[in-house]
Amino acid sequence: MTAANLEAIAKVEKSPGYWSGVLRRIARDPVAMFALCVIVAMILMAVFAPWIAPADPYRGQMLRRLRPIGTAGFPLGTDELGRDMLTRLIYGARLSLMMGVTPVIIAFLIGSAIGITAGYVGGKLNSALMRTIDVFFAFPSVLLAIALSGALGAGIFNGLLSLTIVFIPPIARIAESVTTAVRKIEYVEAARASGASGFTIVRVHVLGNVIGPIFVYATGLISVSLILASGLSFLGLGVKPPEPEWGLMLNTLRNAIYVQPWVAALPGLMIFITSISFNLLSDGLRSAMDLKA
Amino acid sequence: MLTYIAKRLLHTLPVAFGVSIVCFLLVHDRPLPVQYGLWVLTTLQGDLGVSIATGRPVASELWRALGNTLMLAVLATFIGFVLGCLFGFVAGYFRGSWLDKLASFVSIIGVSVPHYWLGMVLVIIFSVQLNWLPATGAGPGGSADWAWDWVHVRHLILPAVTMSVIPMGIVARTVRALVADILSQEFIVGQRAKGLLDLGVFRHVVKNAAPTALAVMGLQLGYLLGGSILIETVFSWPGTGFLLGQAIFQRDLPLLQGTILVLAMFFVALNLIVDVVQTMLDPRVQRS
Amino acid sequence: MKIFDLGAIALVASLGFSQPSLAQGVLRIGMTAADIPLTTGQPDQGGEGQRFMGLTVYDALVHWDLTRADRPSTLIPGLAASWTVDASDKTKWTFKIRDGVKFHDGSALTAEAVVWNLDKLLKTDAPQFDQRQASQGRSRIPAVGSYRAVDALTLEIITRAPDATLPYQLAWIGISSPAQWEKVGKSWQEFAKTPSGTGPWKLTGFTPRERAELVPNKDYWDKTRIPKLDRMVLIPLPEPNARVAALRSGQVDWIEAPAPDAVTSLKGAGMQVITNAYPHNWTWHLSSAEGSPWNDVRVRKAANLAVDREGLKELLGGLMIPAEGFMPPGHQWFGKPSFKLKRDLAEARKLLAEAGYGPAKPFQTKILISPSGSGQMQPLPMNEFIQQNLAEAGMKIDFEVVEWNTLINIWRAGARHESSRGATGMNYSYFIQDPFTGFMRHLQCDLQPPAGTNWGHYCNADMDKLFNEVRNTFDAAAQAKVLERIHEKYVDDALFLMVTHDVNARALSPKVRGFVQAQNWFQDFGTITMAP
Repeated sequence: MTAANLEAIAKVEKSPGYWSGVLRRIARDPVAMFALCVIVAMILMAVFAPWIAPADPYRGQMLRRLRPIGTAGFPLGTDELGRDMLTRLIYGARLSLMMGVTPVIIAFLIGSAIGITAGYVGGKLNSALMRTIDVFFAFPSVLLAIALSGALGAGIFNGLLSLTIVFIPPIARIAESVTTAVRKIEYVEAARASGASGFTIVRVHVLGNVIGPIFVYATGLISVSLILASGLSFLGLGVKPPEPEWGLMLNTLRNAIYVQPWVAALPGLMIFITSISFNLLSDGLRSAMDLKA
Repeated sequence: MLTYIAKRLLHTLPVAFGVSIVCFLLVHDRPLPVQYGLWVLTTLQGDLGVSIATGRPVASELWRALGNTLMLAVLATFIGFVLGCLFGFVAGYFRGSWLDKLASFVSIIGVSVPHYWLGMVLVIIFSVQLNWLPATGAGPGGSADWAWDWVHVRHLILPAVTMSVIPMGIVARTVRALVADILSQEFIVGQRAKGLLDLGVFRHVVKNAAPTALAVMGLQLGYLLGGSILIETVFSWPGTGFLLGQAIFQRDLPLLQGTILVLAMFFVALNLIVDVVQTMLDPRVQRS
Repeated sequence: MKIFDLGAIALVASLGFSQPSLAQGVLRIGMTAADIPLTTGQPDQGGEGQRFMGLTVYDALVHWDLTRADRPSTLIPGLAASWTVDASDKTKWTFKIRDGVKFHDGSALTAEAVVWNLDKLLKTDAPQFDQRQASQGRSRIPAVGSYRAVDALTLEIITRAPDATLPYQLAWIGISSPAQWEKVGKSWQEFAKTPSGTGPWKLTGFTPRERAELVPNKDYWDKTRIPKLDRMVLIPLPEPNARVAALRSGQVDWIEAPAPDAVTSLKGAGMQVITNAYPHNWTWHLSSAEGSPWNDVRVRKAANLAVDREGLKELLGGLMIPAEGFMPPGHQWFGKPSFKLKRDLAEARKLLAEAGYGPAKPFQTKILISPSGSGQMQPLPMNEFIQQNLAEAGMKIDFEVVEWNTLINIWRAGARHESSRGATGMNYSYFIQDPFTGFMRHLQCDLQPPAGTNWGHYCNADMDKLFNEVRNTFDAAAQAKVLERIHEKYVDDALFLMVTHDVNARALSPKVRGFVQAQNWFQDFGTITMAP
């Protein structure tokens, strides 16, 4: 269903005003704009963490461990080692966003390349590429990510690698179906018949039509990726202590739910807010690009 | 129909073959074809090897865990499906109204919430604060003494509800789009304008939306089975996800390999079944 | 879905015969292990495995006296009614096997059965040799050279060299029934499902990773130790939180190592939280293998000076004894080490700089840790705290987390083995009851893996000389003097990162009655009853 929807978007012949129209429509969507603001705020928070954060994210004092939300000097309390929660949540945005967004970006580049090639060239190459992709598609994403990280071992790089491998197949599949649909459109067929080189056709006609839909699809994956990346750390398979990362913080604070339950729940709330913002923005983008809607 | 099923089966075989290779490579540094051949032969006979950590056959460990996870995942899918259909239908039927906005918001929460965190929050509320429901485990006797009585079922509630959130969100979004799509068909618009009985419209919508909704539900069941590790860790639920976690931290490669293989094959098979059933319900939607 | 319930019929039968008035209830225990310990006689899962699945179902030749809570436990006769060492040849020991002891399957205990059991661990070509048990048991008895049954009830053991610690070593070895092993088809895998020992408890069935059930052995040879309970259920609950939740909701009646943060709320809910000193330490075992940064004594001292042990005590809600040495403070072998374990960051940084570390060459290394396990206390937050302490002194530590039983296997394999993955230390918690478990097994040159558990491949001629002296000193007071010198060397050379001693915290529901917490890793569950 998603694929059909995106194919429809791709097949629309893009008039010069199409993209500015999309921008105009999304700027008028209050929900999407709000989500965008939240995301921008998160990114700014991550970039400027050392200037915004009130304390050192690594140093704590045992005497003031597990203080509740609203403690003087520690507005969001302290963690199990007496570190300021607000500071760690701010710093946590760095690794959590990086771990969540990077795999989708890399997978977007690789997956699109595979999918567009397969879709444009077609034939045996298409079958070969897509059957390989099917194999990875046969694993539920959580299982594949965890199996790969489990086999590779914990760590930031291995986590990124596993997640990237997880997201290449769905992106490649969408890219392939969208490209195949576009290839069959009359003016592309005509360009092929007129003897324009394959590269030119891809660059001028295909890319312009397919990148948008693939991009929208990829933005929708970011929220999944964020949840999965933090999930890996939550299991002890991603980021290692003492780095501040929301999933890992949730893991270590889980033992404190009988003492400071709401402090323990804070890192998860951050993951939730970020992930829902990406989802809302992606939905907004999709409806802004869909002329039917 | 039969040829379609046969075609679909033929398509599944290479995928299953690929899946087995991936599982095999996960734990073997050197991909020796002979080794692989032997492994496939023993695996096909139901022998998944012996766990390094416990010395017990992997198959028996897995079999027990699979039952527990299935119980959890089926219940969660059911809850998610019922709620998802409800929200999705309401949202699609009253498209654009505040009811739609509310239902859509609930469904987007469903797909955005980190479920392991939701599980923790539910534990905080219902176990730590209210002390109504147990936080972990599968009951006083573990899964060995499982019975469908309140003493055991209360252990199932929190994990099942937590798990149901994902299919709820996805089913709701699918159903909303389907319902809205069907209702925008001209003759329905006409009927509704004439104020013709809503029951007929309702039946038409259900009949047309059901195959896709059911297919989504089937796939979700597969995702839950394979992705149960986070929730099972939060609730110490003795299923395949829990087993997988232990296999990873015990560096128990035979157990890791066996668990992943069985879960992935389950998913492949489920995909096949969903396709076939969906085609039987609605022959127009043959997926390529 | 119960798989191994062959004993269930026996259970039902025994319940049928017992008088209702004698019923003393069911005790359910939440363990820290992630799995049911190996049931064949030589359990895995460290000291906890031995506590719940070793000395319950099985007996050793020599036992610990677990009846007293007010003093450290001593050795007493177990399956051996008495033992002597030959006056002229100090390597020759004679054990008199207790007469009339029966295994759970009804067969009789003989000296041959003990020999058969030693073969199961030591003789690789014996039909009953079991790699799984051997890897647990062999390193416990390095002194044993040869052995034979002199007659039906007399066992002779010849040690490799004179070794006064032999009885302590034998206290680890559980005696399984040869007859039962024959009966189930000479298979340890089958034996594991229907095990038979001579211990005060019988295993009636278990579900791997979920639970095990034990019932009293009414024919136990020591009538005073026949358990009063009807049943004891063991449940693996590796997560501290899950243990607390299970106790609070009444799923279990007893938990090992409750999360310190939850202690206050547990007491508030009416639970008994009990503690007692016992011979335990929690250290980082440092590697002396080539390339290890810990080969420099200044680095080892720097790390020891960086640890904030008082802060750690705060983290554990007071449930620990800060280390002053390798042995607990006030221990009879403590001696007078000159190196004081205190927090002194300036000194630590100075020592590191002297060792050549600084901004240009930062100190960085990898340590293996576990998420939960026997005697491990609360390893994740404790290690993260120490990581932070060391970072303040300029030492960067990376952790690799592996499950406890896996860590034990790595510990047996040694720092040079590939399973150690280049780590130069591991967070290990030790049973330090006697000269062998306390000192020798960690640092004796010829106990380097795979021969023993000198994980870090430490080898020092002076230390070996001291160890030899201990083994050849059969007089207790003179032996203690040598042990003091050993301990002084342990501390003054900062051979371990010495952090803390556990206080053996357990939380019990108010219904649990009659438990005496011995100052030991092992406990006797026979005295316990459950209030209705």
